Amino acid sequence: MNPVAASQTLMTRWGQRARLWGTTWWQVVMLGAQILVMALAPSSYARGAPRQRVLLHVHQATAPLLTGFLVLSALISLVLIRIVVATAYSYGLSQYALGVLVRTLVLELIPLYAAMFVAARYAMPGAQVVREQLSAYQRAGREWGQGVLLTTELLPRALASMFSVLMLAALSCVIALVLTYLTVYGFSHWGLPGYTRNVGQVFTPAVTLIFTLKTLFFSLAVAVVPLAGSAQQDAQGLYAQRSDISEFARLFSVVLLIEIMSLVGNYY
Amino acid sequence: MNATPDDPPVSAIPEVKNLEFKAALLLVAMLVLVVGSALYVMYARGMFEDTQRLVLISDDSEGVVVGMDMTFAGFPIGRVGRIELGADGTARILIDVPSRDAKWLRTSSIFTMERGLVGGTRIRAYSGVLDDPALPDGAERSVLRGDTAAEIPKLAASMREVLENVAALTKKDAALDTALSNVQSATERLKGPQGAMGVLMGNDEDAKKLVLTIDRANALLARADALTARMDSLVSNANKQVFGQGTAEGGLVADARVTVQQLNGLLAEARTSLQKVDAVLVEAQGIASNTREATTDLGVLRGEVESSLRKVDGLISDINRKWPFARDTEIKLP
Repeated sequence: MNPVAASQTLMTRWGQRARLWGTTWWQVVMLGAQILVMALAPSSYARGAPRQRVLLHVHQATAPLLTGFLVLSALISLVLIRIVVATAYSYGLSQYALGVLVRTLVLELIPLYAAMFVAARYAMPGAQVVREQLSAYQRAGREWGQGVLLTTELLPRALASMFSVLMLAALSCVIALVLTYLTVYGFSHWGLPGYTRNVGQVFTPAVTLIFTLKTLFFSLAVAVVPLAGSAQQDAQGLYAQRSDISEFARLFSVVLLIEIMSLVGNYY
Repeated sequence: MNATPDDPPVSAIPEVKNLEFKAALLLVAMLVLVVGSALYVMYARGMFEDTQRLVLISDDSEGVVVGMDMTFAGFPIGRVGRIELGADGTARILIDVPSRDAKWLRTSSIFTMERGLVGGTRIRAYSGVLDDPALPDGAERSVLRGDTAAEIPKLAASMREVLENVAALTKKDAALDTALSNVQSATERLKGPQGAMGVLMGNDEDAKKLVLTIDRANALLARADALTARMDSLVSNANKQVFGQGTAEGGLVADARVTVQQLNGLLAEARTSLQKVDAVLVEAQGIASNTREATTDLGVLRGEVESSLRKVDGLISDINRKWPFARDTEIKLP
């Protein structure tokens, strides 16, 4: 084979891949921006069907997951709290246990696994449903208008995912803080001032801001990335079923990027 | 056919009982959580506390971070609000002390900043005299610094010196090595025929001499033993002679006792004679007192005689003046 032609083919393939990659992420960003704009528009919550849809999805995204997630989160938190407290005591560094727990659990882990939980249990299955609907309409020879799709399906689901992530993360953080207190001090209220002081020391203005932004971006990523993938046509212009793993990997890469940026902001 | 926006091909909304109420409940719960968490963090960071300012001045603020505690007796009573570099190049640590805890800080309070090997810097306050006036708002105090990490280079230098000394001690030709060699040779000699004696004496000849000396000392001791036996018999003989043990005569001591008894008799007789002499002396004393009285009377008599003589003398003088033999005592000048 002619090396020049081979390299040209290779470069062309790479170029196509890069363009596809760029187009895909551009569509994700565009959809995220559109959802944000629509979310801020009061007309999206107008009485009647729009509001009903939003409320329905908010309820469907949060209520069924609440119990399971809180139990799971409490169990994981309890295990981690015990490990950290026991290790800190064994090294004589118990005064640092609270700070470590608040930083690892509340600031880092809980938002991450709340986002992953909502993505796995609601956002990605919901995105699959949207893609199936789109595929069915395409097979029937009908087409969904972009604005209609956005307002009727994508926006309520995205808002619901965001709300669910924020709700689960907030509740789980509160439960983790309570469990930490109970594990360290038991059922005594005398440790409360010291504990509150420790928590206050961790939540400096910068850390609080980064934590809030990180959780918001997690929720936004969980809301937008799966839906953007579902509304995207493949190379043949169809809405064929996609691998869950590849969708999850795409979402996870975004979440990981946000996590790394927050870590850089917090600790560098 | 293509769908139009007026004909949205959306799925029908499923019916959920009390959907609005449930959704509102979730939204309110979310709002309460977010607002409650924000208020809790603000409270934890002391935003609702009335505080007074304390400025600690240090030459180094390394390890001090905004938000860290200042403790008094192990209790946090203030937190670092700001750290700034002063115009004179010193670090100014601005601490916010809640008004309810400000009573622990007095004008005589001392502030220290310590850095351990593990953990961060700690700022501590000590108030020895709690009756002193309270620390005013905005007071500036110097902070005493104790830095464990700064001691490590000194410690390392000392350790190096110690290790060098140890290395010098354990060198091949060092004193310790020589001493150990000597100890080894000494222990070898200890195991030899002369044993510890050979080690003590230094050579075998001296050790032999010592053994000979001991033998002689033993012989001397045997002779001393015999001498002691002879001394014992001597002492028993002396006992017989002096105390009369084992004899009918009683020995020297018995004779001495008889002599003492005779002396006692003599003394009794002498005491009687002396009593008699005492009586004689009493009588002599009476005579003497009589003589003293007579002497007193003689003095009076003498005075009377003298006055009589003076009178006679005066009489004679008068007679001489009146008598024709009276001399002319007048001196006539030419």
